[in-house]
Amino acid sequence: MSEQFKPNIVAFLCNWCSYAGADLAGTSRIQYPANIHVIRVMCTGRINPLFVVNAFQQGADGVLVSGCHPGDCHYMEGNFFARRRFTMMRKLLEYVGVEPERFHMSWVSASEGAKWKDVVEEVVESAQKVGPFDQFRRNKINW
Amino acid sequence: MVDLEKLRTVAKETVSRDDVKYLIGWRQGTYGFRVSPHFMKEPEEAEKLIFSPLCSNNLATYLTSAEKLPVPRGEEPDTRKVALMVKGCDSRAVVQQIVEQGIKREDVIIIGCPCDGVVDLNKVKEKFPNVSELVQARWNNGSIIFQLPQGEEEVPREDVLADKCLTCCYPNPVEADVMLWEEVKTRGSDEFADVKEMEAKSIQEKQSYWQDKFSTCIRCYSCRNVCPMCYCEDCILDRLNPNWIFRSVNASENMAFHLTRAFHLAGRCIECGECERVCPVDIPLMKLNRKLYKETKEIFAYEPGLDLESKPLLASYRPDDQEDFIL
Amino acid sequence: MYSMKLRKEKFDDFVAALGKQNLYAPQKKGETLVFAPVETGSSLPEFSNTTVPPKNIVYPQTETLYCFQAGETDISLPEGDEEKVVFGVRPCDARAMALVDSLFSWDVDDPYYLEKRAKTTLVGFACNEPDINCFCTSVGGGPASTEGLDVLVTDLGETYLLQSLTEKGEKLCQSMEELLEKAEEDDLQAADKLHEEARQKITREINTEGIPNKLLELWESGLWSEISEPCLGCGICTYLCPTCYCFDIQDEVEGSDGRRCRMWDSCMFGEYTLHASGHNPRPSNRERTRNRVNHKYSYFVEKFGKIACVGCGRCINLCPVNIDILNILTKVKEAL
Repeated sequence: MSEQFKPNIVAFLCNWCSYAGADLAGTSRIQYPANIHVIRVMCTGRINPLFVVNAFQQGADGVLVSGCHPGDCHYMEGNFFARRRFTMMRKLLEYVGVEPERFHMSWVSASEGAKWKDVVEEVVESAQKVGPFDQFRRNKINW
Repeated sequence: MVDLEKLRTVAKETVSRDDVKYLIGWRQGTYGFRVSPHFMKEPEEAEKLIFSPLCSNNLATYLTSAEKLPVPRGEEPDTRKVALMVKGCDSRAVVQQIVEQGIKREDVIIIGCPCDGVVDLNKVKEKFPNVSELVQARWNNGSIIFQLPQGEEEVPREDVLADKCLTCCYPNPVEADVMLWEEVKTRGSDEFADVKEMEAKSIQEKQSYWQDKFSTCIRCYSCRNVCPMCYCEDCILDRLNPNWIFRSVNASENMAFHLTRAFHLAGRCIECGECERVCPVDIPLMKLNRKLYKETKEIFAYEPGLDLESKPLLASYRPDDQEDFIL
Repeated sequence: MYSMKLRKEKFDDFVAALGKQNLYAPQKKGETLVFAPVETGSSLPEFSNTTVPPKNIVYPQTETLYCFQAGETDISLPEGDEEKVVFGVRPCDARAMALVDSLFSWDVDDPYYLEKRAKTTLVGFACNEPDINCFCTSVGGGPASTEGLDVLVTDLGETYLLQSLTEKGEKLCQSMEELLEKAEEDDLQAADKLHEEARQKITREINTEGIPNKLLELWESGLWSEISEPCLGCGICTYLCPTCYCFDIQDEVEGSDGRRCRMWDSCMFGEYTLHASGHNPRPSNRERTRNRVNHKYSYFVEKFGKIACVGCGRCINLCPVNIDILNILTKVKEAL
């Protein structure tokens, strides 16, 4: 039986909602896949799309950006800007051949521990479907 | 339609003003079909200025690329205006630079030159190879007439114009202090055929297409330097601390560079096509940049560089922006 | 000198045989001609010259100097290089390699470059039809110059004449002996005639006498501002120049692995001379253009006795704003 491919997911979570939501999932002992690596940022509006590209370069098979629901941003507008930004980034990534299953964005609030589990499961499952990312990984290109 | 007399008169008058540092226009190049940007400082130089189908350079890039050198002690920085000759696409670049507050409207005098399309030198060289002597060209209704050493040759515009000109919807400057001659009819309409063709390919095909194209990239950064919208004083490519995009040339860094630049142009690219023109290894950059142009137009009903009062795309939002992809 | 000729009908076999020796030749990548490994069966395109000069075969754009790992004190060197044959090198590009050879064996023998160079055999192609912007004859070269080459091939119409110039070249020709025939005196004369006709076909010229010694007198001249105003500060002229060799050394680290690598750099980039203090002795395009011209036509002459320009014309053809070195030199001569 072949070993199931375990994708490396990098998640950029906003400090006030998604990070807290993920933390709640942990304290509630909700089981979710462990191959997600969280990077805490203060707000999704702070996320430079270059982070996503760089994550792929450094070995991520999938990237998740998660923040507060629109209207609930701790900094009022950050997630609105992020929404626009990542609408464009998603289109661009798909256009150059990065499978759309590799990049996700979600709204997870601080009380949505259960939703966090669902989001992670979906992200991991879609990344698993498309396999390891080697399109522009750094290490795999001849050093 | 092109009135060289008027062009030179207006240029002379503009440069003679006290509050104008210089005027940027086009002059004949040093061989064949080339044209070079000219920085006119004295009224006598007006005779050198031309405007023809060979004038592909987008001069708006010089508005923001002027290096801000330290001023010697006792001297004041030169804050006089810059006068600029623009075609339709170039004027959009100036407007977008003003919208983003990269330059101020009052610091530039825009001299509008309605344009019926400029040539693609690769197509011209295929038709007329090995021409070393200086060539002139002019528009003639639906064709371009080249004055070659062997005589005049008339060619239908579709055969030699740059691809961007064949789908151009804004041949007349959208903003100008002086419009040099009457506006031209808009011939083109943009269906984004090239982008749609790429979108229709499978993920695998897209991957191999772009990997193949970016594999020849030598990271000369011509595309970045010629782009009128690329004017960050602190460009991410020049930063070594942190080193986001390594200077080494391989598939990974090349892809990161092009993705970054394409994204930085989201909602800002005004489709002047200069990036593709200057690329020494013929990477189809317009195909990449026009994808986001199309998305901006379709999703947000926004085209950059048209309205001085508009807000930049990614610096604004609407509470009801689409979020169908968000979990 | 060892002269043989090859009938054109046997050319494909010749290329196939060379292919067994790790062959690089001009290949089309998209719309661009570059030197690339030749796959078996692919043909050689007609070409005047490639966009990227063959310098990237002996001096790659990105080269690993050594690799290292966190916690280890030993570095690992890259593997040795293989023997290569480069076919279709124009005499200007070969002269350029000879110039760059003197740089990389000047005060320090650069092992990376010199090893690659020693293992590369250059088979040149004389130009019968120079490009419109070629000016090799003005800077000490010519359409059939042999400097830097191991073999020179001339297209005689129905045959190719092969003249081996060095030991490496002789070895290569001997390995191809079964495909080659002896060259006659007529063939050699026909080649000479073609070479001379090619020289006459070059239209752009400049007399460089006096320029190297006197260029520095023009240091404060307004000519540099005038020339460099349209310059975009991109790297095209430097990266595609066969005699340019400036490089940068960077460490690239990923987790606990890293490598130190050398990559091409350009003196036309703003940050090339940017000091850590923030001061830049060449703050604008004016100083950088002045430096580039001075380096090629004066400083290099002072150190190595030759103008560091071989007249290939790539900078003229590819500069996006038509900054033309011959135009610059004409202005220099006028100003002197």
